[in-house]
This record gives sequence, structure tokens and C-alpha cells, in this order.
Amino acid sequence: MTNTSNDPYFIDFPKRIQSIQAQMQRENIDVYLGSRLRTLSWTTDAFFPWRSFIVIPKEGLPTAFTFVIDAARAADDSWLDEDHVFGFAPMGGQDQIEQISEFIKEILNGKKSRIGIESGMSNYLPEGWLTHYEYQQFAAALAGCELVNAHTIIDRLALIKDAGTINRFKEASRIVDVGHHAVLAAIQNGGYKGMTETGIAGIAALAMRRAGSEWEWSFTGGNEIASGYRTGYAGGACTPATRKEIKAGEPLMVDIHATFKLGLGDHSHNYLIGPATKRQRWHADNFVSIVKKTLEAYRAGITPSKLAERMMAFAETGGFADYMVPGFEHGIGMLGDEWRIGLNDGPFPFWTNPDHIYQENEVLICAMQYACPDESIGFRYENPIVLHKDHCEEMSKFPLGIEEIS
Amino acid sequence: MTEKVKYLSPEWRDEAERRLKTELPPERMNFVTSSMSNIYQNCPPDGSEKYLYFKFEEGRFAELLIGTGVSPKPEFAVSGDYKTFASITRGELSAQKALMTLKLKLKGNMVKALKLASLADRLNKVLATIPTEY
Repeated sequence: MTNTSNDPYFIDFPKRIQSIQAQMQRENIDVYLGSRLRTLSWTTDAFFPWRSFIVIPKEGLPTAFTFVIDAARAADDSWLDEDHVFGFAPMGGQDQIEQISEFIKEILNGKKSRIGIESGMSNYLPEGWLTHYEYQQFAAALAGCELVNAHTIIDRLALIKDAGTINRFKEASRIVDVGHHAVLAAIQNGGYKGMTETGIAGIAALAMRRAGSEWEWSFTGGNEIASGYRTGYAGGACTPATRKEIKAGEPLMVDIHATFKLGLGDHSHNYLIGPATKRQRWHADNFVSIVKKTLEAYRAGITPSKLAERMMAFAETGGFADYMVPGFEHGIGMLGDEWRIGLNDGPFPFWTNPDHIYQENEVLICAMQYACPDESIGFRYENPIVLHKDHCEEMSKFPLGIEEIS
Repeated sequence: MTEKVKYLSPEWRDEAERRLKTELPPERMNFVTSSMSNIYQNCPPDGSEKYLYFKFEEGRFAELLIGTGVSPKPEFAVSGDYKTFASITRGELSAQKALMTLKLKLKGNMVKALKLASLADRLNKVLATIPTEY
């Protein structure tokens, strides 16, 4: 637990809870029942890998609920004490529905109330929306109470990142850079020969763990390593490492992930395993040029659609628009918050609003994919960036480029 | 003592207290401070509800109450049918199995309860030695 304001990674969690409670009051919500992983991370400062919930009363401390075998560890990691992290289990009175609904009833003291829940959908599997079954069970157990969708309370408060969160992301990115240096050292000067994608994923993981990373967190396969044709899947942005051997003359994509105090590092770097052809070099230079252009464009005030239009026009001019996947971002927050940008206010429910206006101190992943399946080549760039008034700050500092490895 | 006493009667309570004090010294109770209520539903002969409330302070047996109606607020409450508790005390059914089959319900912090499970077993074993008429 981070508990001193002198700590660069300090986050004022009690203040976060008070902000939620202030908003609950405005929306006439007596209890907030959170179930999303992002909500658990943002409110507890602990990792909750099991189905978990948090109950936030109108006043006072919240209480988290998780599978009993992990509750003591979660309490140890959290700023909440063991009296505010409960474990549930398949025992009389201790299953999650009865335990939580009884807990809420005690808070409400017989009052029929409005209970905020998190209901929606996501492209991201571990999101953690309240399921239909859970909703029905809680509605029955809390008969007379009104269950209202309230996830926007958390989404709005979590949008702009505080200094402690940004510093955690920066440290996770520093650790990712350690992983990239380890991979480069391992593959150069013929070191790649005989290596597999999984082997490279492991080299990065070991280096990052030694540097303090807690987890190669991504649900897309941990450290995503692709080589040869696997770099060029149409639209491809998810490449869990395989046993494919790294070969001369092929591209190599190294997309690695580190976690530091629920802050997430995510940086993708690309190589050409020599000898590279002129055509491969052309593709690589195209990609580097558009990444540079994109990073120059990111700032507060721009929107995803404006940025995409500008970058696709640049790619068209350069003659490589056919190979660009027309998306340049994905959302990011503390662990479990990995998909949508901004709030749920776009034309397609629960997808990024293309007209979302970025604000200062929003953090996102600048994410770009170049894919030419016909030539078995592609590249990916990902880097957490924090937006400032007139520029963006890249958190991973590993030098941009696509080097030819011999 | 060989004469049987009626389960949950004042005589049973007195005998329970005597045995708990003598057979469970503070070190056997890991110097725990906690309290627990057993809530007996459908008690014979009239189907009433009774409670058995235990309190330990630093492992020392502090209080044992039997009553009807609302129990003093315990750290943990275990509720179930009178017959279920009787089966557990007779050694026919384990408390764990009763909880896992919804015959008993536990209210309280499960993580803390797990830490105290072995102590609850010790306590139940002492109570099981009382010659009892159910």
C-alpha cells in the first residue's frame, strides 16, 4: 500500500472514495455496488483476479468482496484493512449474493434505496459488468430497492489521471524499456538464431520481473511476440507468442507489458531480421514516419476521428494507406481499464466515441498497426502517452525505429 | 457427571461453562478475543428461536449466555435448525459440511472465521462431551 504523500506513486484513495460518494449524493444513490475490474483497481489499489465486488456506502469506507482464498492477500495489498475486504465462499450465508446483499441491507437499515450497479458491455473480456444472473439475484435479495446503472460515476472520475497514477505508468514504462533492451541484446549479432517467439517473450519477462514488474498483464497474451507472416495479419493487434522460430529475412514485432502498482507498461517495438529487402525497408520507413507524425499530433483538444483522418491522409500521400489500420489509440487506466477511450457517449454504445475531445492528463495508448498480409509483413506501435496542452509525452523512452538485426 | 442434562437448558449452560473454563485455557484458544452466537431455529417444543452466545477475551472464557429472542451482537453468528446443531454436537455432522450444504449460515468476516475455525472445533468438541438429552 502506498500511504505517504511524499511517495511519487501515492494516490489519495480515501479522496477517490469521497469523490464517488459526492457524486452518489448528487445522483441520489445510497450504495454503489461495483463489479468491474477497473473499478476494483481504481478504488482499492489491489489486484482482484477473481470475480469481485466493492460496496461503497454514502459515507465511510468501502468494503471489497472477493473469493475467500484471496481476500487476505488482497487486503494486505490494499489500503483497506481486513475488516473492509471480505471473502466469499460456497457456504451458508457466505456466498457472494447473500453475503453482499446482507451487507448492503445492514448499511441501508431497512430503507428502500437506490443502488448503483455497473451494467453494460465491452469488447474487453475481463471488464466485469454485472451479469444478468447476478442482477436478478441481487434484485431479488434486495427486494424493494431500485438498481440503477451508475458506472459513469467511476468512468468520469477515472478519466483524468492524477500524478501518482501517471508516475506508476511511467515506472511501468521504464521497466518495459528494460525488457526491450534485454530483447535487443539477446537477438542482435546472430543471437536470434534458434530463438522462438515464446523464448523472446520469456527473455523480456525475466528482465522486466528483475526490474520490478509484477505481471505481463495483457489479456491479449502477456508479451505478444510475432515474426514473419504473423506480424502482418489483416487488422491484427493481438499476437500471443507462439513456438515459431525467428528467421532471417522476416520482420519481428516485440510488444511487451509490465505492471507497476496497477500502472501498466505497454510498448511495442519492431525489427527486421536481416538481410532486409528494399521493399521491407520501405514498409518499415513508412511505419516509423507515421508513428512520428502521430506522436507529434497527439495533444489535448484533438479527437480520435480528427487524428485518424489526418494520419490516414498522411499515409495516403505516402502511398501506404492500404496497409494502415485506421485506429490510433486504445484506452488505458489502472489494471482492468484497457479498452474504451473516455465515456460511454459515442454513437456505438460502449465503444470509443470518435468525437471524444482529449483533455490534459488523459492517458491512453498510442496504438498503431501496419499490416501487409500479402507480403507477410506488419508492424505495431504501442506506447502509453499522457496528453498535455500542446503535446503528448511518451512514457516508454525506447528509441523509435525499426532496426535491421544481423 | 453422568446424569444427562437438557440441551440448552440452564443446567446445560452451567456445565458448558464449567467445562470450557477448565478444558480450554487461553493458550488452547490462541489468546483470541472474539464472540460468536449460535442461533437455534425451530427449537422444541414450541418452535421458538434461541441463542447461545460465547465471548472470549485474550483466550479467556468471558461469557456464555443462553436466551430467546435477539442475541447480543457477536463477531460471528451461525444460524440453523435446532436439529442441525444437535447433530453437530452429537458428532453426526461436521459444522463444515453443514455450512457447505446450507444447513447452517455464517454471518461475519469469512477470512477471520477461517482463522478461528480450529478454535470453534475445539469448543464444539468440549460441548460434545456433556451428557445431553436433546
